[in-house]
Amino acid sequence: MRNTWLIIKREYLQRVRTRSFLALTVLAPAIMTVLMAAPAKFASMGQKPQHLVLVTSTQQFGEVVRQQLLANPMASEDEEGGDNASQKPEEQYIIDIDSSPTDAERATLQNKIGTRDIDGYVWLSDEAISTHTVTWSGREKADSRERSWLGEVLNRILFQQQLSKTGMAPNQAYLLLQPTKVDSVRIERGREVKSGGTGRFLEIIVMVMLIYVAVLLYGISVMRSVLEEKNSRIMEVLLSSASSTELMTGKLLGVGAVGLTQIVVWTLMAGVVALPSLAAQASFGELQISPLVMLSFVLFFLLGYLLYSTMYATIGAITTTEQEGQQVQFIIVIPLVLSVFMLMPVIRTPDSAAVVWMSLIPFFAPIVMFARIVVQPPPLWEIALSLLLLIGTVVGLTVLCARIYRIGVLIYGKRATLPEILKWLKYAKA
Amino acid sequence: MNVVHAPLSPQSDSIHPAAVVSAVELNHISKSYDDFVAVADLSVSIRPGGIYGLLGPNGAGKSSTIRMIMGIIVPDSGHISVFGTPLNRAHMDQFGYLPEERGLYRKMKVLEHLVFLAQLKGLSHPEATKRAHYWCERFELSGWTEKKVEELSKGMQQKVQFIGAILHDPKLIVMDEPFSGLDPANAVGLKDVLLELAKKGKTILLSTHRMDQAERLCHSICLINHGRPVVEGDLNQIKAKYGQTHVQIKYDGDARFVHEPRLVQSFNDYGNYVEVRLAPGADAQELLKLAAASARISKFEIMEPSLEEIFIEAVGKTNA
Repeated sequence: MRNTWLIIKREYLQRVRTRSFLALTVLAPAIMTVLMAAPAKFASMGQKPQHLVLVTSTQQFGEVVRQQLLANPMASEDEEGGDNASQKPEEQYIIDIDSSPTDAERATLQNKIGTRDIDGYVWLSDEAISTHTVTWSGREKADSRERSWLGEVLNRILFQQQLSKTGMAPNQAYLLLQPTKVDSVRIERGREVKSGGTGRFLEIIVMVMLIYVAVLLYGISVMRSVLEEKNSRIMEVLLSSASSTELMTGKLLGVGAVGLTQIVVWTLMAGVVALPSLAAQASFGELQISPLVMLSFVLFFLLGYLLYSTMYATIGAITTTEQEGQQVQFIIVIPLVLSVFMLMPVIRTPDSAAVVWMSLIPFFAPIVMFARIVVQPPPLWEIALSLLLLIGTVVGLTVLCARIYRIGVLIYGKRATLPEILKWLKYAKA
Repeated sequence: MNVVHAPLSPQSDSIHPAAVVSAVELNHISKSYDDFVAVADLSVSIRPGGIYGLLGPNGAGKSSTIRMIMGIIVPDSGHISVFGTPLNRAHMDQFGYLPEERGLYRKMKVLEHLVFLAQLKGLSHPEATKRAHYWCERFELSGWTEKKVEELSKGMQQKVQFIGAILHDPKLIVMDEPFSGLDPANAVGLKDVLLELAKKGKTILLSTHRMDQAERLCHSICLINHGRPVVEGDLNQIKAKYGQTHVQIKYDGDARFVHEPRLVQSFNDYGNYVEVRLAPGADAQELLKLAAASARISKFEIMEPSLEEIFIEAVGKTNA
């Protein structure tokens, strides 16, 4: 016990004190934040207002269209509704009116687009309106959002005009033509949950990728440090002071503690710095993490880490160089990658048999079961069973791998073959 | 197999009271890797105190033997006891080990590293720190205690490793080729410390392929070759035994006495003197009489062979 503790302490302090740990702990969240916030920022930042010319037969009709366009923001692309995502139209467009729909004028406007005096024009002559064929010409083709925005506004104006002709009061017609907004709400355990769609999706991806990346990163780090001890031959001195099981568990727990520290620091930083600023971004606004999710995140991260890094330590013990280790480690990466592939099925059909079974198998559980808990908490007994199987496998694997480790770390010069490893398993009873 | 035990060893044991327990007792231990026999039926008893030499050419099985004593590998058969009890984990804290393959954590600071190694052996942090400072001073490493191991020269790293092996004041110190890679000055310093520890009653097992070193430092040796013990026992007795087989005779006259097969196994005549290897069981005094009968003898010396010669002769016998 004392030895294991000393080894944990050494591993932990040696790693936490390095500059690369500090850099990773501080810089990684910064980079993440930038990467996530940047696209949205760029989208709004790089845009200067577009100069649009409405070509109408009468100045008056043009004024009505301009007013309505500026009053009705464009619908946002996602399903969250346009109320919070879109910019105001007056920031996006400068709209002029040109009331001479002649061919000569069209040529002039096309020239102006060429000289960048304007960005585009919309042909709204009475003739065009009556044949219901309006053309938006511009340097860039107008996208579907822009086209449906203009179409809806035009339809409403035309309806309103028609209704006014039948004698309806203009404000009555206006009310009648208000678009109906459709909201969506998710029900979880009989309660309304605000987050849905995009927020949920991001939450899963971010947390699952965190587990995936951390397990992989720290696993490889364990493998490297076993190889280092082996190649620097310090292993032999260590083995004359501590048992191989103590050495292995000490290393795993020490490195795991480093990982946990990093995640705690990140979580704190996210809470203090990142979240308020991210909350300003639309799709992050509804990201909220329940205590159950938090607890299972820590549990599944730790168990997943232990499961995979035990195997990584073993690979470190049976290979001789890092390159060799990298070649062998794909065996370990396969179940991890498969788990990530299961994410889409988990999100779409969290109750399907395949998802349920995968979430119970220890090698997939850290990611699949965790994702299930985030998407739609499964029955408690399923979580308990999955955890139990996972813990059992971790313990069993540790015992098994410690045997291989014990002999592997003393073999220098060549990679162990499978028959050799099987023989060690039989041989090393202690 | 031809194990030559020093003839007087039962008597020499009886010089010490029967109560003295061997520091290390290897009882018919064997170890093979696949088809390769690393150690075959090795029995050795190392008395406590002093320096015991484990000798043999590279690949003879020295390191395997040492690893088995250290509990790093387990013998296929036979058993090992240390200070009177079968080898177990509790012994580990009494062992100090300098492996042939040196290794330290490159990124750790010297003092930190030494304290870590000593703590693994059961020392408290303050005690380990105090002792580490003492030994660093003795080995002229005082200015380096806060430096990272990788910043040290190879010789200095080796000294750090040596300190790591003795910091916890072990009863049994096992050194696998401790002098390799050290410059002469440092080698002398290391030798002095080893002798000092031996005088304090520590048992030191020294493995080396340098026979001349062993000859100067060890009270007893075990020579192994191809995993098998060749010669084992008290160094003086081994030499005494082997010494009786070689005679150098300075003569003037007829050297026909060398042709007596009952006494002489082989000879090398240089004209003024002849080197004779006695036949097994032959008495040197008889040869002297015979020689004196035919020639004028000005010098008759029973030579003490070097360990190297003993080794070559013993190996020659086992290989024959």
